[in-house]
Amino acid sequence: MNARTQIFELAMEGRQVDEAVASIFHTVLFHRSLGKFFYTGEGNYSVGTLGYTDVDCDFIDLTYVCCTSRALDLNLRREISCFSEQLRGNEGTGIGQISLEFFQKKPAKWFGQQECIPWEVWTVRLELLSLQNEDERLVCREKVGDLLTEKVLYITEVMNRHEYLPKMPNQSELGLIFDTSYVDVQPYLFKLNYVSGQSASSSITNTMKKLIKAM
Amino acid sequence: MAMKISAQDKKDLDKFTKFLALKSAQVIVQSRLGEKKSTQCKMHTTGTDWFNLAIEDLPDVLAETKKALNGEIVSARLPLCVEISLRTVEGDHMVLESWCLGIVPEQCDPSVRVTHTVYNRMGILLKSLVSVTRVTPAYKLSRRQGPDSYIICYRIYMEEPQLHTLGDGYKQVRVGQICTPIGTLQLSVSYRTKMTISPTNNGKDNSIMLKSDHFNTNLSPRQMRYKQNEENNASLNNTMRIGAFADAKRKLPEPEMIIPCVPFSKLLSMRKSPEQKAENDDRTEVEELMAAAVADDSSTLEVDADVAVKGKDDKNGNAKDRPYLGALPTHRFTMTPTNDDFIMVDLKTPFATSNGNSELGKIYREWQTAPPLKTFSEIPPLSDQVPDLTKQLERYETAMKTYDDMVQALCESPNNN
Repeated sequence: MNARTQIFELAMEGRQVDEAVASIFHTVLFHRSLGKFFYTGEGNYSVGTLGYTDVDCDFIDLTYVCCTSRALDLNLRREISCFSEQLRGNEGTGIGQISLEFFQKKPAKWFGQQECIPWEVWTVRLELLSLQNEDERLVCREKVGDLLTEKVLYITEVMNRHEYLPKMPNQSELGLIFDTSYVDVQPYLFKLNYVSGQSASSSITNTMKKLIKAM
Repeated sequence: MAMKISAQDKKDLDKFTKFLALKSAQVIVQSRLGEKKSTQCKMHTTGTDWFNLAIEDLPDVLAETKKALNGEIVSARLPLCVEISLRTVEGDHMVLESWCLGIVPEQCDPSVRVTHTVYNRMGILLKSLVSVTRVTPAYKLSRRQGPDSYIICYRIYMEEPQLHTLGDGYKQVRVGQICTPIGTLQLSVSYRTKMTISPTNNGKDNSIMLKSDHFNTNLSPRQMRYKQNEENNASLNNTMRIGAFADAKRKLPEPEMIIPCVPFSKLLSMRKSPEQKAENDDRTEVEELMAAAVADDSSTLEVDADVAVKGKDDKNGNAKDRPYLGALPTHRFTMTPTNDDFIMVDLKTPFATSNGNSELGKIYREWQTAPPLKTFSEIPPLSDQVPDLTKQLERYETAMKTYDDMVQALCESPNNN
């Protein structure tokens, strides 16, 4: 099985990185999260209601929507912030990429590492710009806002193609498909990977290798 | 493959479509209220929480949508349009965008499970709608609305969208579509891109648009930002213009232009010349004479000189200022604040920095700031001056030759130039 892969390439100022990545990943996660499942008996379950929250960006002309879940937001922000620090750090080359990977687990047959199969990967490749003055920042603020608007529209387009999603599991297998650790939302299992510097360019090859292994 | 949709499925599908329409209208209108929205997750879904998404039901919007639906089967009456427009305090009106939920009966997929698949996809479509409503231009406008500028209005109707009201070059974005057994449901938005409309370009709403055009140029946040940029640029240009002006001046053969404007500058330059310096004994007297001669008709100079030392030590400041200003032309900015009234300071800065004219600049400064003031500030009372006059006259007579020499030198000086 091949994972669907979407790659966004963006150039922006360092301080815009966190918000830009968060806007893309939160929009994806909003579409890839459900209300909490509540089992009433074997085979019967009800699905909770998903709340949403508007987020205004400070450094980009953009408002995006995320699930109303503090824990999910903190989790995502923490990872993005680590990537951002690495990317913007003195040792960084100003080039890097971060991926939001949805995966499902295979039921464990033996004692050992559980196999994770990615089914959708959203990658944001970033290149840092250094701007000279406030005028340039104003322009960039708006430009990145326009670019992210395009990305949000693209994300919704992909989401409405109604392509492969893992099947709804039984209660016992819920944890193989969904991340049940949040009290308010139930996103599909996901993880974030990031690289910065020279290795960023070769990571596609690595991803391919991983995929081949996964197959 | 010709599977007929069951009556139950048809009933469910109509019901889902109706609630999709109702919730879509809520999402669109609520996103234009001008405030950030936040709804809470719920463990247990209640009756109004359709599609597992926490979308509030505003009673007004619900009533408007239901009025438009008119109690009929929604899927048979689509498209449903939600039109978002802007109304100014003056009553001007402009349509910003038109959201449309339509159906294409030809594209149907009878195999799709209504109760599960279609319902879930409608949930995803609504999430997409929530996301997309935040990124169209009208969202930013709606966040800036206010009772004293403009408000955002909505209109819900069941017919094909009236796209001509969006002006030329409007954009269309498809939010998403769902294939169902009765056709493909499509949700899309068309939005205005040109906030500036020329009156000739729009046909039907000419009178209104003409006014809206005037108003909305200032309203679009993008326009506002451009405007700010322009203002910034303008102010930058102004500062730069001074620089450019100064540069241009520097290229001109300035000495010829300046010297006639400055009375006695020649005299002062004479005083500085090496020949004059040699006659050290007479120099103070010459200065005194000149000061006396100048005293009557140089009121401007006096005022200027006073201004020059304003904020410094009034009496002794001159002696300090003179060498400082004269010797260090690069410090001109330090003196600028103390004599703001001196336009001449600004005018001559360009020369001061250029090599060829630096001496002229020095002389000019020296003249401008100092000698007369020192003398004037120490004028003795008249009673002291009167007996002194006889002595002075005697002294002048004895020093007649010196003055003759000086006059001679003055007469020759233009030729030297």
